[in-house]
Amino acid sequence: MRSPVNWTVLGLVIERSSYGWELWTRFERLYGDVLPIGSESNVYGALDALRDRGMIEEVREPRTGASGAGRQPKPHYRATAEGLEAYAAWVIAQAREHNRRSFLFARQLGALAQAPETALGILERYEQACLDDKGARIPTVSEFPARVVPGLADRLASAYGRNVMVATFGWIDYARHEFMALVSEKPRSR
Amino acid sequence: MSLLELRAVGKAHVRRSRRIQVLRDVSLEVDVGELVAVWGARRSGRSTLLAVAAGIEPPDSGAVLFEGKDLTARGGTALGDGVGYCHQGVGGASGRRVIDNVRAGLLARGVSVPAAHSRAHEALQRVGVERLGDLILGDLDAAEAVLVAIAGALVLRPRVLVIDEPTKGVDLLERDEIVLLLRSLANEGIAILVSDGDGSGLSDADRALTLTGGELRGRRTPEMGALVPMRRLGKRKAV
Repeated sequence: MRSPVNWTVLGLVIERSSYGWELWTRFERLYGDVLPIGSESNVYGALDALRDRGMIEEVREPRTGASGAGRQPKPHYRATAEGLEAYAAWVIAQAREHNRRSFLFARQLGALAQAPETALGILERYEQACLDDKGARIPTVSEFPARVVPGLADRLASAYGRNVMVATFGWIDYARHEFMALVSEKPRSR
Repeated sequence: MSLLELRAVGKAHVRRSRRIQVLRDVSLEVDVGELVAVWGARRSGRSTLLAVAAGIEPPDSGAVLFEGKDLTARGGTALGDGVGYCHQGVGGASGRRVIDNVRAGLLARGVSVPAAHSRAHEALQRVGVERLGDLILGDLDAAEAVLVAIAGALVLRPRVLVIDEPTKGVDLLERDEIVLLLRSLANEGIAILVSDGDGSGLSDADRALTLTGGELRGRRTPEMGALVPMRRLGKRKAV
């Protein structure tokens, strides 16, 4: 299963057993900015794929109150033990992929040893992009789509954002020193 | 015109007969209602930058302007007279009561004891630690010490608040509370400049900058026009 949407929906079901529309609203709030999917039909598609693979299972939601009487119960989903295990493996693989991409960027920048001014320009723009990124904002109560109190996922994402930001600034500082040293060496090598 | 402005500030320190340039041609503007955070590694000069911005240390070159007027040309500092400053750690004697420490600035300015006490209590209430008033400073934990220090600055009703590393040493899960307090103070119209070493202070800032090699990088001027507070700041009842 390669679709990140499917894995993300699995994570939401693991977080809390639920039904399609509620999962869609949670998806939009937590991941809408980084993984836009446009329509809730994608969530239903993901639920079908997860159920077919045995990662989630349907449970019957008891009808409550007079308003629910006579209505078709909503399909309600919960994660299976296999689903939880697969999700953990996927999350770790994602983290490795993230590290791999970061190393790739660092090494690709190293190709600019003969053009240190260009590298310094890239670092400048990269640093500004990090400074402008508001992803590390502290989560607070929001009103979208209804009143939402930030949960563990929000707090973890915020803390991750700020720690990555600080580590990145430290790395940019180091890389800048390397390229500035190359700039100052340049006249001597001619 | 921004409320606080650093113009091409240069500053060097002498350590063991060596002259170290800490700030190089640093320019920065902070406007009404803005929360601006400066990240820097250890010994990057972030504390020096804030001390210069607050008028505590004079720049070697360049100028620091508060409300358009040169702080050094004013023959002193605007500390307590529009500019509030919180350094790292607890200020004041560690055996002193919290409420006494918070009201000390008011008493030094000739405010009566009952009025100073009342305003100090309001300030502690504003930062959410009114329960600590009767404790002694030495008994506070790191988060409480920062909040009390902020109350001690707020009691003088500053227009600009300069805070050196407000989250340093504070328990990881308590840092957000401090940053959210600063955000809410900025939303009330106070211009806030903080330094940061762990990234916490960058979270809810309007602008984040970095200080490396004595150079300040990032957006050094406000991106929008000055915010116009709903009420005149001088008439605010709440601290």
